[in-house]
Amino acid sequence: MASIALKSFVGLRQSTLENPSFTSQSKPISSFPSSPRTFRVLAAKTSPKVAGRNLRVAVIGGGPAGGAAAETLAKGGVETFLIERKMDNCKPCGGAIPLCMVGEFDLPLDIIDRRVTKMKMISPSNVAVDIGQTLKPHEYIGMVRREVLDNYLRNRASENGASVINGLFLKMDSPSQGDGTSPYVLHYTEYDGKAGGVGVKKTLEVDAVIGADGANSRVAKSIDAGDYEYAIAFQERIKIPDDKMVYYENLAEMYVGDDVSPDFYGWVFPKCDHVAVGTGTVTHKGDIKKFQLATRNRAKDKILGGKILRVEAHPIPEHPRPRRLAGRVALVGDAAGYVTKCSGEGIYFAAKSGRMCAEAIVEGSENGKRMINEGDLRNYLEKWDKTYWPTYKVLDILQKVFYRSNPAREAFVEMCADEYVQKMTFDSYLYKRVVPGNPWEDLKLAVNTIGSLVRANALKQEMEKISA
Amino acid sequence: MSISMSLFSPSTHLPTLSPSSSYPKPHFTLKPCLSLRPKTPLFTTRASAENGAGAAAAATAVEAEPKVPEPVAAKSESSNGSAGPAEEEVKVVSLFEDARWVNGTWDLKQFEKSGKTDWDAVIDAEARRRKWLQDNPESSSNDNPILFDTSIVPWWAWVKRYHLPEAELLNGRAAMVGFFSAYLVDSLTGVGLVDQMGNFVCKTLLFVAVAGVLLIRKNEDVEKLKKLLDETTFYDKQWQATWQDETPGNPK
Repeated sequence: MASIALKSFVGLRQSTLENPSFTSQSKPISSFPSSPRTFRVLAAKTSPKVAGRNLRVAVIGGGPAGGAAAETLAKGGVETFLIERKMDNCKPCGGAIPLCMVGEFDLPLDIIDRRVTKMKMISPSNVAVDIGQTLKPHEYIGMVRREVLDNYLRNRASENGASVINGLFLKMDSPSQGDGTSPYVLHYTEYDGKAGGVGVKKTLEVDAVIGADGANSRVAKSIDAGDYEYAIAFQERIKIPDDKMVYYENLAEMYVGDDVSPDFYGWVFPKCDHVAVGTGTVTHKGDIKKFQLATRNRAKDKILGGKILRVEAHPIPEHPRPRRLAGRVALVGDAAGYVTKCSGEGIYFAAKSGRMCAEAIVEGSENGKRMINEGDLRNYLEKWDKTYWPTYKVLDILQKVFYRSNPAREAFVEMCADEYVQKMTFDSYLYKRVVPGNPWEDLKLAVNTIGSLVRANALKQEMEKISA
Repeated sequence: MSISMSLFSPSTHLPTLSPSSSYPKPHFTLKPCLSLRPKTPLFTTRASAENGAGAAAAATAVEAEPKVPEPVAAKSESSNGSAGPAEEEVKVVSLFEDARWVNGTWDLKQFEKSGKTDWDAVIDAEARRRKWLQDNPESSSNDNPILFDTSIVPWWAWVKRYHLPEAELLNGRAAMVGFFSAYLVDSLTGVGLVDQMGNFVCKTLLFVAVAGVLLIRKNEDVEKLKKLLDETTFYDKQWQATWQDETPGNPK
């Protein structure tokens, strides 16, 4: 077992080690009779120039991933088409973005509705722990509305020269010839913006496609990317009385417990002028309404008298798709499955993956002058996995250890009371980098956590005896 | 379950009901996210089209509807739109009560037995409280915070309670394993017990034996550990899937 675990790490990085050997390769090895699932890596430098025009890339989906990708592509001199079916779509989404995203994507501060500086974690036995005392004055978690953020990113892409098309992507024809230069043909229905108008069926020829069309990606389907396990998130936007809203001014709540979700958490997040109350689960999707009721019950007094504005539900990917690219088609964001476990965060990773993929295309095509190939897109995948795999793995471990059962959750909350933990958590969340901790503190933390786990489990044993 | 389901059904109707109940429009300054869409059908179709679970959830709601008992149905009309009251009125469940539970913690004075705190009783009481909470999840409240922390029970109280009854068995087992491995090593290699103590390999073996005895207390534990290992590597495999094509027989 251990050997497999070890090997997997090697597997992830293998191509990194081999990288120099194939970039320096002088002639393509296309003559290999390979099965469709094995891929060929062609050297970008040898790929043909595109004559008389720039490289054309279509980005399907205008969320954070699509918007960020289109912007980077357009800036890089690539002819970019961004296809989005609904421009004012407000996707059901927690809407939390880490501080570093504001800087990295140069977001204006006015799209941030609220700055969350306090988090409350509430254990199954209602022990509440305040997280966030360690935050410095300028640090916060931004809460955005997706319709605002998405729109902003799309507009910026458009300003940089991307053509934004309001249309519904239908399907995609793969290149007829396998010579690596013939175009992909996209079929979509274009809406001219008039309300109630019937769309016009159109086609578009492009050299490469970025699939950023979310959990139910049609691009993924058309490249046979395989499925992923998903969680269902259920959320109610509730307008609560002003005096209660004061409490949620800059505070988010997380509820854990078997009653609110067997494998995730229930939340109360502040939104522009209301709160979002929701919960999610992978394993018991049929019971989601029961969990939602339980979440409301746990927050009862604080949201008393609230009016439900809307109810929303959405799938959240649990892990990446088995295949994240094929030929000159790559997946990013939710379509690829880049949502972290444990916290369920996806906006930042979506935008980041979109940008990274676009950067790989710009680089591979030498600013839109050359054709790209699968090898160029692989560079994106490689870089992505190398950069973010540790983050994903750590959160996966956290989820597995601490969302396992009620005693584990009690221990989790006890652990979060520790200032060192809070500091580490926020640092890694806000800045998306893992800072090496203080070994002595780490050790103390490990001992304390194991202590908490043991105590909570001991109590659990006792509880079972009572019922017997 | 059926009650909670039916209780819930009012809220699922809300979006449908609300447009008819004429909301004050000027209320919503930030339009796009708040617009009480007349597009409720759109939501349902989208949810079901986009994910199977949406359809499943909708199905359960429908299924639950006929079971709605009279009084609740009536209530749902009166509390149209509000999340809180609907539950509150029906649930008359009281908070956890115990004479020794004072201000969100166990009053340790009441657990005193001949001058010392009877930690065993504290553990019992807390276990009962958690059991109770598991069956009747309580609303959290900022006015009466829970202050009790299991770490105030000293470590020896836990050890006394949970380890000692098993300690006899574990010690016995460790001794037997140790004795037989020493015997085996001696008979196979001819290195005596005393010499083994100075040997690095044997020291490691001893360590492994002790850890093994601690980890594997029952036969099921072996299965549990195996499952745990599988679980820890599962996510790695899911991530790796993209790179899998590369490994077998790829010309490099």
